[in-house]
Amino acid sequence: MTMNRPKQKNKEAKTPAAVDMTCRIKDLVFKNPVTVASGTFGTKDEYTSCVDYEKLGAVITKTITVKPRRGNPMPRICETPSGMLNAIGLQNKGLEDFIENKIPYFAGIKTPLIVNIAGEEENDFEILVKALHAHKKVVKALEINLSCPNVEAGGVSGMKKKEKIEKIIKTVRGETDLPIVAKLSPELGDVIEIAGEVLRAGADGLSLINTLKGLAVNIRTRQPRIANVTGGLSGPAIRPVALRYVYEVKKNYQVPVIASGGILTADDAMEFIIVGADLIALGTANFVNPTATMDVLRGIETFCRNQGIMSLSQIRGTFHVPPRQSCWQ
Amino acid sequence: MSSARSKMQDEVVTILDNRKINEKYFKLTFASKKLSRGVVPGQFLQLQIQPTFDPLLRRPFSYYRIKGERVEVLYEILGRGTGILSQKGKGSRVRILGPLGNPFSKPKAKKTTVLVAGGIGLPPLVFFAEKNKVDYLLIGGKSKAEVLPKSELSKVSGKVLYATNDGSYGKKGFVTVLLDELIHQQEDPRNLFVQTCGPKVMMQAVIDLARKYEIPGEASIDETMGCGVGACLGCMVETDKGLVPSCVEGPVFAFDSIRQSLV
Repeated sequence: MTMNRPKQKNKEAKTPAAVDMTCRIKDLVFKNPVTVASGTFGTKDEYTSCVDYEKLGAVITKTITVKPRRGNPMPRICETPSGMLNAIGLQNKGLEDFIENKIPYFAGIKTPLIVNIAGEEENDFEILVKALHAHKKVVKALEINLSCPNVEAGGVSGMKKKEKIEKIIKTVRGETDLPIVAKLSPELGDVIEIAGEVLRAGADGLSLINTLKGLAVNIRTRQPRIANVTGGLSGPAIRPVALRYVYEVKKNYQVPVIASGGILTADDAMEFIIVGADLIALGTANFVNPTATMDVLRGIETFCRNQGIMSLSQIRGTFHVPPRQSCWQ
Repeated sequence: MSSARSKMQDEVVTILDNRKINEKYFKLTFASKKLSRGVVPGQFLQLQIQPTFDPLLRRPFSYYRIKGERVEVLYEILGRGTGILSQKGKGSRVRILGPLGNPFSKPKAKKTTVLVAGGIGLPPLVFFAEKNKVDYLLIGGKSKAEVLPKSELSKVSGKVLYATNDGSYGKKGFVTVLLDELIHQQEDPRNLFVQTCGPKVMMQAVIDLARKYEIPGEASIDETMGCGVGACLGCMVETDKGLVPSCVEGPVFAFDSIRQSLV
């Protein structure tokens, strides 16, 4: 597929009317739906040689925690069929470093910055939101990581209590008027039910889905292939699962959804848009193809033009199931 | 870090040659102005095996040799990805991102340069010994099956010595036996400068010897990589600068900067 990607010298200039790709979460307007999944695009400028950050609809940061985290031991990643397992363990330099060293970089970029945050202790979310709200000229929205499979405190296992999730969203809501998006995973339990709870607690949108917990075995050593034993499965292997959840959630709630889960190409992105996704977050795709976001962006536009679609809103959520045939007895 | 990234290129290249050169190793050749420009020994590239994303992740390979715009990559079949790669013939196309990472430093004045290679860690050191004047290239392998044809080493500077685990070629034993002998021939071992690439067990043994005799040097540390550009944080190495991604801060690290056991 990537072999056939269009040349950089774009033909868009020759096309009279651009496709309206705008989408929104609350009052925040994105010029197009293409963004990056948290943890897959570095923390600052790692992809600047391949990606024009200003062309992205939004940039979503790697998860920021209050204190710096070293993450998990090596090996932290391994390839699996059509996917990869990772157990990075939310390695990051902490809130203070983010504010001091990363925010100034994004202040120079017009693309909206969505900061992904996770808490390890009771009042971490409060500290994070207060600090980031103070930088709302740069930080345009918050993504609440409720579903990391690779950490103990603040990870998916600790979030299986509904009351805890509800409390976190209420805390965040109480501290900011920035749009907040809750990142959910099927690992938390009933996604549809939890989605309802986080929305009632004040979330403005949902981010679906995080990685799925998986295991890979080295059959020669009979040991796990990553040191953390289990890791988060990402890549095309989880795409149908992600698609199903985006479809079901959008059927139940008319709220903005950031979709991620093995999206590699524009065709993959269109599947998600058709079932109702508002933004499309590329994750593992960035590792495989550093220009994936730009390729997908061009590809969505080309697809729309070829189909005579002048606005993504014309196709978003148009998925329909044909009348069921009667069963063969 | 940023400057290295700004030079990297992602390009679809046509394979000019892909052949087995001994019982174990294959040599892939392609031509690319962008992927060959300014490349120095120790740097690597990320090769996408199939355009269909299966296998999914790119594979990192050291640059083996640059001849004008021709790039050579030496590899061994270690799994499904390299197995598929070995089947690709002349005219096949693959996508490659490079050059990536930081190289070995140039030979130091008044130092005796000793390169210690193990298994498929050999390519960047042969490249180095062709580009620079070195004193010794010590090569370790399991058996004669890994020994390179003489034509592959004809432009290597310095004395080439082999050690094989089974004694089927060169000295019997690990390559560190050769290094140990060399150290004991020195009036002052601290005048040596050791650069190494190979299995972690071997490199740790080299680093241990170097530390014992206060010999400076560098090791190319290859943790399992995802992206190759410092984004996924999969290939971290504990150094004096903290936990850093091997793909952009390395893969070559000075012995005295490494703060972890490689095994």
